[in-house]
Amino acid sequence: MELVVTRNFGRPESWTLASYREAGGYEALERVLKEMTPEDVSDLIKDSNLTGRGGAFFPTGLKWEFVRKDPKTPRYVVVNADESEPGTYVNRLSLELDPHMTIEGMIIAAYASNAERGYFYIRGEYGLSHERVKAALREAYEAGYLGQGICGRDDFNLEVEFRRGAGAYIVGEETALFNSLEGKRGNPRFKPPFPTNFGVWGLPTAINNVETLAAAPAIVMNGAEWFKDLGIGDAAGTKMYCLSGNVVNPVCVELPLGVTAREVIMDHGGGVPEGRTFKGFKPGGASSAPLTPAEIDASLEPKSMAELGTIMGTGGVVVFDDTACMVDAAYRDALFFEDESCGFCIPCREGTPNLVQICERIMHGQGTMDDLDLLEELGASMMASFCGLGHFAHQPVRGAASRFRDEFEAHIRDHYCAAGTCFTANGNGRAG
Amino acid sequence: MAIHHTELETPPGREPLPESERPKLETLREQLQPLKDLPGSSIEALYAAQELFSYVPPEAITLIAEELRIPESQVFGVVTFYTMFSLEPQPPYVLRVCRDLSCHLAGAPKLIGALEKELGVPRGHTSPDGRFTVEVVSCLGLCDKQPALLVNLDQHGPVMPDDVPDLLGDLRNGAG
Ligand SMILES: Cc1cc2nc3c(=O)[nH]c(=O)nc-3n(C[C@H](O)[C@H](O)[C@H](O)COP(=O)(O)O)c2cc1C
Ligand code: FES
Repeated sequence: MELVVTRNFGRPESWTLASYREAGGYEALERVLKEMTPEDVSDLIKDSNLTGRGGAFFPTGLKWEFVRKDPKTPRYVVVNADESEPGTYVNRLSLELDPHMTIEGMIIAAYASNAERGYFYIRGEYGLSHERVKAALREAYEAGYLGQGICGRDDFNLEVEFRRGAGAYIVGEETALFNSLEGKRGNPRFKPPFPTNFGVWGLPTAINNVETLAAAPAIVMNGAEWFKDLGIGDAAGTKMYCLSGNVVNPVCVELPLGVTAREVIMDHGGGVPEGRTFKGFKPGGASSAPLTPAEIDASLEPKSMAELGTIMGTGGVVVFDDTACMVDAAYRDALFFEDESCGFCIPCREGTPNLVQICERIMHGQGTMDDLDLLEELGASMMASFCGLGHFAHQPVRGAASRFRDEFEAHIRDHYCAAGTCFTANGNGRAG
Repeated sequence: MAIHHTELETPPGREPLPESERPKLETLREQLQPLKDLPGSSIEALYAAQELFSYVPPEAITLIAEELRIPESQVFGVVTFYTMFSLEPQPPYVLRVCRDLSCHLAGAPKLIGALEKELGVPRGHTSPDGRFTVEVVSCLGLCDKQPALLVNLDQHGPVMPDDVPDLLGDLRNGAG
């Protein structure tokens, strides 16, 4: 299996320009600037079916074309490295181990979008990433890949500013990220207008996830068909899947987009620890509803996940064995969203603590069967939230309550927790 | 008509900067100069303040607002939005322990308990020696190191309850 975005991870000092160049780095940029027009580049990326790895899977080439076609200037490119979805660490690995690949992708995106300014925004907690990306940006400036007259083309300039977040999941939502870049509180903005027309500073902005941008140079070198063929079925390219939870190997693996959950969890994760029973998994971070062992042969790609009523999300696969209580698991996600709701809109601000309380009632033997209906109602009203956080926050709880119904009912009716974490003197309690 | 003023108490965490710390405001002013050319850089400005004082004192908020020409209310709004900024003095070691699902499954509650026990204070409080505080936070993106924690910005994991005495011991001896 051919690797795209992780292919340099094993190289010595893989994060330096010298190492990246030795591995053929920045050849794609040079080819783009010598042989291709901005239209050629966005067409190539469109043909490759590369879609946004941040979780929304929007066609990347189309995004760049939209930005280029907006007459307002200056246009911007933004790297979204706010990665904060629980169970997800793929961008961190790219930033630490191969920052230049993302930077090269960013420059290619700027060329295709006709953008002349950029921001590289990394969440505040990623200290090593800050160091590596700052150093890599400096190297790229010195080598003439950034700044004025890139690679001798006096009509192509790109000034990139490095920025840090300071602890806020919501800032990963693109419009919240723009507010953060503008020095404001990271509340999301209303869409439309969309970032491609009204992004940072109200100007056309191509904002992309680290993994999306990192795929661009390889597509330039190897072609759209090559990339498309890497995926399974209709899905194009590869995806970094990362494992955590009750799994033997909590590792990140780059695999064809659309592999089965079985391949990821069993072949690469080594399954659940010996002596335990596999109980289920979350396909892509906290926002995704959990699935059961019966669904382990489903493809981890957006379409099949949507058919199962969950989402592909970030590719952060969280595994459960029989020591995990699914009510408790839902509760942990609810706590996360309660904490991370920015409090700007009522359905999300009020809905997330409600989710927490319902889970707490059930875990403490005070739940009723009505609580399960209440969850559905609450979920429906949270769909009126202002942004995606509120739209997704109830999915893991409702998903767990419907797919692991028996476990919820056992808690409610019999005050019985099969995993043995609730109703005990030293139960888990509220950790947060 | 007369306006009635009420003497307001200083809200917690809004104490004025001690006299001995005031010279650092000049250092901050100098550090803010390059940020004037970078619109929107209030987060970077606040990091500079926090690095100097260990927290963001009210005087720094006023200074940042003045120098960057943005409303003080906006700077205050930014400080309170992001969890990594503090309005109260912070000890040299802030331990941020992840409480989210993967780390939870890997034993985060026991890790948090061990840290609280070893430091003798609950989360959110500074240890009696004034050097540590434990914060329980959202996913740190270190789920491959579950259960994970950050010591300031240094990554640690997996950290088991049994590892806690050594981890803290190293930090106490300045090896962290
Ligand atoms: C609550 C919320 C959080 C998000 N967090 C991130 C994030 O941390 N990183 C990211 O790339 N996209 C995140 N997104 C998606 C972005 O809004 C946006 O779709 C993405 O950055 C676009 O880049 P892509 O097309 O390359 O995926 C988030 C969305 C929502 C609703
Ligand atoms: S869940 Fe703990 S670091 Fe991600």
